[in-house]
Amino acid sequence: MNVGTRKILDRSFTAVGIGSIVVMGIALLIVIVPIVFNGMGSVFFTGTIEHRNMLYNEFGKGNSDVLARENAAAGAYRREIYSMLSKFEAELESMEPEKQQELRAQYGPVRTALQALFGPLPGDPEAVLTRYKYGQTRWDKAQEKLHEFLYEAKWDYSDPNAMAKEYFVSRAAGFEGTSLVKLFPYVEKNLDRLLRPEFTVYWGFLTDSSVDSHIFGGIWPEIQGTFFLAVGAMLFAFPLGVIAAVYFTEYAQDGFFTSMLRSANSTLAGVPSIVFGLFGLAFFINTLKVSESKSVLAGSLTLAIMILPTIIRAAEEAILSVPKTYKEASLSLGSTKWNTIMTVILPAALPGILTGGVISLGRAAGETAPIIFTAAVSVGSAIGLADVFSSPTPALSWNIYNLASEHEAAAEIRHVQYGMVLALVGIVLLLNLSAILLRARISKKLKG
Amino acid sequence: MRAEEVSKAGGRSGAFIISARKRKLQRAVQKAGESALLLIASFVAIVVLFIFYFVAVDAVPYFQLRGFSEFFTSSSWYPADEPGEFGALAIIYGSLMVTLGSTLLSVPMGIAAAVCLSDILPFSVRQYAKPVIEMLAAIPSVAFGFFALVIFAPLLQTQGGPILMWAWWVLAAPFLLLAIIVVSDLLTAKIEDQNKRQQLSMVLLAVFGIGALAFLYWVGSVLRGLEIITGTNALNVSIILSFMALPTIVSVSEDALQAVGRELREGSYALGATRAETLVKTILPAASSGILAAVILGVMRALGETMVVWMASGNSSHIPEPWFNYLEAVRTLTATIAGDMGEADQVTGSARYHVLFAMGLLLLVISFFSNLISERIVVRQRKILSGQ
Repeated sequence: MNVGTRKILDRSFTAVGIGSIVVMGIALLIVIVPIVFNGMGSVFFTGTIEHRNMLYNEFGKGNSDVLARENAAAGAYRREIYSMLSKFEAELESMEPEKQQELRAQYGPVRTALQALFGPLPGDPEAVLTRYKYGQTRWDKAQEKLHEFLYEAKWDYSDPNAMAKEYFVSRAAGFEGTSLVKLFPYVEKNLDRLLRPEFTVYWGFLTDSSVDSHIFGGIWPEIQGTFFLAVGAMLFAFPLGVIAAVYFTEYAQDGFFTSMLRSANSTLAGVPSIVFGLFGLAFFINTLKVSESKSVLAGSLTLAIMILPTIIRAAEEAILSVPKTYKEASLSLGSTKWNTIMTVILPAALPGILTGGVISLGRAAGETAPIIFTAAVSVGSAIGLADVFSSPTPALSWNIYNLASEHEAAAEIRHVQYGMVLALVGIVLLLNLSAILLRARISKKLKG
Repeated sequence: MRAEEVSKAGGRSGAFIISARKRKLQRAVQKAGESALLLIASFVAIVVLFIFYFVAVDAVPYFQLRGFSEFFTSSSWYPADEPGEFGALAIIYGSLMVTLGSTLLSVPMGIAAAVCLSDILPFSVRQYAKPVIEMLAAIPSVAFGFFALVIFAPLLQTQGGPILMWAWWVLAAPFLLLAIIVVSDLLTAKIEDQNKRQQLSMVLLAVFGIGALAFLYWVGSVLRGLEIITGTNALNVSIILSFMALPTIVSVSEDALQAVGRELREGSYALGATRAETLVKTILPAASSGILAAVILGVMRALGETMVVWMASGNSSHIPEPWFNYLEAVRTLTATIAGDMGEADQVTGSARYHVLFAMGLLLLVISFFSNLISERIVVRQRKILSGQ
């Protein structure tokens, strides 16, 4: 091959390598940016008066005088709607049955859309679920609902070879000739006066418990559950892991037994996370019966087993990176092996061991599969510290799955899901970042 | 006087005896401490045995109830029916399919990135590249699953054709260009006359270039015309899984590459090889077994992953039609365990409950053997590189 071609090949080889690292970076950004951007939307958003009403009624937050004034101002505009509705209903009664039936069929969805926007209408029975007591609490959602109110979505199946296409028909057209026609432009024009949007900073998203399975409120029970599970797992795994690492590095003699133990360690590291869940169910709950059914304790134990190999490996590495001279100096001064380990090696290796611990803590907080059968419930309030031995808990990782895939109103509460994902990713990445910084400091220190 | 002497001697020897006893005690304490340490260290091995035992104990009743053949040969999965059908073939196939897909994507990228990290990038850039990979590894699987379900799947469903076309162009165009240059170079290498050679190579480049462009355009337009019925499909999951497996592949193969010493590299450079030739012909073959171990670990990461496949694979238990159609929904072993346990839990003891453990056992056995193999490979490589 001539030299020019070899040069081109050499360059392009470099380009492929750098390209794949860049692709990884871009992938990271593509995943992180929408999560951060939309996740912030769960705390910083334009809230409507319905949001403030909800906060006041459900959490006792806000100023009642201001709220009463705002409600009065919005109410003045809303009464106009209600009078239009009652006028139309009276009109309906006087129509011939056929026309009446046709209009009633169209009127039903209009009322539903109005309820979604402004909460219960006059004459509605008392709402049982909290989600029906309030209208749209967020301005962005309110605008989507306005579109639903103004237009009816229909599907075009005319072309059998292509996928059906969605198109929109104005609802107002269906009420041509009745008094209700005026309602549509009125709501469209006055939506901001009806809902009074205002920029809101809702820190309560992180500290409030949820209302009506996450339709309103915050994610505190999940954050607390994740904290309990991860810290519980660390309480079991960290001491065990460090002790095992001390054994492997300082006491173990090369031989069949030691190599078998090491094999076991890497096997444990490779077990799929869902199998840990099965094991936790079969062993901790069904055999040991550490609790009647799912509990934080069972979940923590399962997670502890999962993160044990990581901790052992990190602690081993940290201990091995302590310079040999430290140990030899201590031994030559006449201190025993045990004393040397406790007073010289472990303190010197501590930052490295902690780094591994912090990363494992993040891993335990983020895992879902092991806690599905052992600890997690989808709905529930925050549990007390005394309940960890007996009761299950909601947790961020599990509830992200649950809200995104199984919640009956999954598409309505995307902001809550994004907020949860951001909270979880934030916790895990902060833990990892601190581990990275800690490690950078250690390597500087060891270099002197 | 004698008595005094005796008592003195006794005193001395007594002191000696006490100190001996003390030392014995100390030694005993040390022994006890060491065996306690050993006990705790062997805790891991005990746990591994327990995992095998307890998963197997709950898996065996399934095979006693239903035998082996249905599980591995039938693909009708109706566990809720009365009597249920437990054919897991389609589910096993789904697992293999997404694993293969993610491996095909992640292995070339992972090895290229590892080579780049270990041999090409200067240290100052590497310091920034490593945390990116670590962060990719740290993001919880459920966050990837959420991304796959809520952001990527709708995008793939509505814009799938154009996305695939762009990906094809970006990935295939540079490689085809390179291939053309190399081929035309090789074909003209025998011609002695410089001018003639250059002319011929130009002509060849033009001819091949037009052919390649036509090929690129043709495949691109086919991809663009693809109709993607659902965004939650095997392709979606494979792409996401490949990014989850990448950090493992990169870090393990980087270790393997660095274990190959400087001597080999310098020898190759001294013989006049370029960096690419050194890496491809010398370093990668020398590190191949370590890289193989990295690939095995990456494959296991993809096979054992639960949340992403559960959320974004579509969970439909059938073998796609045709068998390589990555645009259809599939169902995997892990997702089936996670998804079906909720309903099966109430009837502990039924075939429906135990079949999930059978799947868990299958995963466990696969992961055990692949771990064993990759570990053996790493140990062997270390032996070879350290000169037997």
